[in-house]
Amino acid sequence: MNKRLLHAILIATVIVIIASCSDRLDMEDATHALLVGFDLDKENELILYSTSPVFSKNVEKKTRELRVKPQTNRQSRGKQDSYTEGVFQGRSIQVLLLSKRILQQENWFQLTDVWFRDPKNPLTPRIIAFDGPLSEIIYLNPKDQPMLPILLREMVETKNARSETVKTTLQGLHQQIREKGVTPIISEVRLKDKQIAITGTTLLDHKGKYADSLNMQETILLRILQKNTKKSVNLTIPIPGEMKIGPFHTDKVSLNADEIKVKIKTSFLKDKFQFHMHITMRVGLSELLFPFDVRSQGKELENKITEQVQMNFENLIKKIQTDKIDPIGLGLYAQAHEYSHFKKVEDHWGETLANADIHVSVKTIIGAMGTVK
Amino acid sequence: MKKYTLNEITFMQYILLNFGMVVSIGFLSLPRVLAEQAGTAGWIALIIVWVISIVASLIVIQVMKRYPDGTLLDLLSMYLGKWAGKAGAVLFALYLFYYGYTGLVYTILISKQYLLQQTPDYIIMLLLLIPTYVIVRNGPRILGRYVEVIILLSLWIPFVYLIPLKDAHWLRLLPVLKEGWKPVFAALPYTLYYHIGFSTTFILYPFLKNKRKAAAGIVISYTLTMLMYLFITVICFVYFSPDEILEYNEPTINVLKAIEFKFISRIEVLFIAFYLLIFSLSWIPTMYMSVFCTTWLIGKQDHRNHLRLLWLFIAVGTYFFMPTFFQSERMNTLLGQIGFVVEYLVPGCLLLYVWIHDRLGWRKHL
Repeated sequence: MNKRLLHAILIATVIVIIASCSDRLDMEDATHALLVGFDLDKENELILYSTSPVFSKNVEKKTRELRVKPQTNRQSRGKQDSYTEGVFQGRSIQVLLLSKRILQQENWFQLTDVWFRDPKNPLTPRIIAFDGPLSEIIYLNPKDQPMLPILLREMVETKNARSETVKTTLQGLHQQIREKGVTPIISEVRLKDKQIAITGTTLLDHKGKYADSLNMQETILLRILQKNTKKSVNLTIPIPGEMKIGPFHTDKVSLNADEIKVKIKTSFLKDKFQFHMHITMRVGLSELLFPFDVRSQGKELENKITEQVQMNFENLIKKIQTDKIDPIGLGLYAQAHEYSHFKKVEDHWGETLANADIHVSVKTIIGAMGTVK
Repeated sequence: MKKYTLNEITFMQYILLNFGMVVSIGFLSLPRVLAEQAGTAGWIALIIVWVISIVASLIVIQVMKRYPDGTLLDLLSMYLGKWAGKAGAVLFALYLFYYGYTGLVYTILISKQYLLQQTPDYIIMLLLLIPTYVIVRNGPRILGRYVEVIILLSLWIPFVYLIPLKDAHWLRLLPVLKEGWKPVFAALPYTLYYHIGFSTTFILYPFLKNKRKAAAGIVISYTLTMLMYLFITVICFVYFSPDEILEYNEPTINVLKAIEFKFISRIEVLFIAFYLLIFSLSWIPTMYMSVFCTTWLIGKQDHRNHLRLLWLFIAVGTYFFMPTFFQSERMNTLLGQIGFVVEYLVPGCLLLYVWIHDRLGWRKHL
C-alpha cells in the first residue's frame, strides 16, 4: 500500500514536471514566416520583407506580407511581432530572397548570422537572387499561382533536378563563401511581363558580392563542369551553315546528354595554373530543325555538335575568367594537386584563376537519333 | 573468493560498455578539435591514438590479470596495503564522478541549446536523473544490457550520415599531409583526451564472464571507437571546408542540418533527442562505478544508499550551481588531462610495480 502510494506520487511529479516544460508554443500563437527578403532602399537602409501564411476562415487573402526597417536581422523579429497576432517565428523559412542592391554590397552575408547562431532556425532555406527591388515581387500575389514562397521553392526544386538552376541552401552558401577555392552560385528569379520566372543562376564573388548572371543553358554547362548534373540534361545549339528560313530558328539542334564524364587535370607550369578538362558525353538527338540525313552523315553532325558544344564551354570559361570568380571549384583541384602553389594565392584565387590556362576538349557521341531518320 | 559472480557481464556487453563510454559525447566536437589542430590531416592522429590506446588498455588488462577475481581496489590493497586501497577508492570514485558529471553537464547544455531553450537547467537534470537511478540501482548486469540496447538501437545513425555526402568534395582531403607531420603530432594529446574511458576495466574486470577474452574485447572496442571517430571525422572534413568547420562548435550536428525531407524540417532536433540516449552512456556506467567504489570503501555490498545520496547531491546542487558553456568546455579539457594520468600513466606504473613486486617475491603478507 505504502509503496504504491510512493509510486503514484513519483509518477504524478514526473508528469507535472514534464508538462511544465517552458518551451511549449501553440500553433495559434505563432506566425511562421515562409519567406524572408532583404533589400536596400534609396538611402541604403536595410528593408526586410516577410511572407507568412494566414490560417483564418474569414480572411480572403491567404498570405500576409510585412515590410519592416530593422537594423539587424534579429531585431526585425520584434518589429514584425508588433504587426502580427502571433509570435513571429523563423523556424520554417523556405526561401531567402535577395535583391540585386543587397548583392552589390560586400558583407551582406553577415546579416544571416542569427540563423547560424540560434540553432532553432533551419539552415535549409533556398537562396534566390531577384533582379530588381523586392517590392515588385513580394506584393505581386498572382491569383492563378500558389503563394510566393511555395512557388519559388518548387521552382528551384524542379529546375535543379533538370540542372537548369542550382539549389543553394543557406548552409550551402555558407560553405561556398567560406571555401577559398570556390565562389558561390545561387538561383536567380526575374519578373518577365509580370510573370515570375527562374532565369538561371547568379554568380557571386568570394565576399558574396554580385559578379554575373548565367542563363539556363550556361548553368547546365557550368554544372557539367562541376560534375554536378542530375539525370540527363537538355542543350539546344545552333549548327553553323544551316539556313534560317522565315521567323523560325531552323538552324538548331536539341540534344539530350547523359553519361557525361568530366576529367580535370591540374598542373602548374610557367607560374600559371593549367587545367585540362576532357568532357565526354553521349547525346541523343531530341529535335532537328533542318533536313539532315543522320543515318548516313552521322559522323559529320557529331563533329559539328562537338565543335559547338566546345565553343559554348569556352565562352563560359572566358566569362568566368573575366569576372575573376571560380564557380566551378577549380580551386579545390588546385589545392588537392598543387597545394604549395595554391597556398600562396588562396586569398585571391579568383584573380589567379583569371590568369590560368584552362583548356577544354569535348567529345560527343551520338548515341541515339530518335525514331526519325 | 569470487564475490562478484552474481552479476556477470558478457563479452559483448563488455565491448559495448567500453565503446559507449569512450564515444558517448566525444563525437560531437572531435572533428572540430582535430581540424583546429591538424587541418584535414587530423584523421591520421586518430589512427596513431588508436594504437596508443590499445597498448595502454592492454597494460590495464595485464595488471588486472594478477588478481582476476577482484577489482583494482582489491588489487591495490593486496599489493600496497589497506590504506592504499582506500585512497585509491576515494580518488577513483572522484574521478568517475567527475567523468559522469561532466557528461551530464554537457548533455544539459546541448539539449538546452538545441531543444529546450527556456526550460531551467535543474528540471532537465531531474528528467535525466530519474531514468539514471532506475538503471544504476541494479548493478553491472542491467548496466550491460542497457548499453547493449542503446547501441543496437543506434545502429541506423551512421547511415543517415551518408546522406550529406552527396554535397561533399572528396578532393578536400588531398594532399593528405598539407603542412607535414608536425600538426598531426600536435593533435595527438587532444585526440587522446577523446579516448579515455577504458578505466571501466578496473572495476568491471571481475564481473567479466570470460576473462581470457578481455584483451580481445578491449581491442575490438577500441577498433570500433576508431572506426566510428574516423567515419564522423572524414564526413565532416569532406562536407565542410577546412575554414568553415572551425566555426561550428559541434560540426557533427551541423552536418545534419543539411538533410531535408518533405515532411520534416530541422531533422537535427530529432537526432539530439535521440543522442540523449547515447550521451547517457557517459554518466550511467560511471555513476555506478563511482558508488561502487564508495561502497567498497565502507565494505558493504549494497550500493543503493550511496547512489541515492549522490543522486540527491547532484539534483540539489544543480539548482544552485550550473556550469556555463565555457566552464563545461574547461571541465571537458580537464577531464581529458586527468583521464590521461589515470588511464595511461597510472596503469603503466602499476604494471611496473606489480611486476617488480612479484619478481622479488614480496608477497609475504599473502
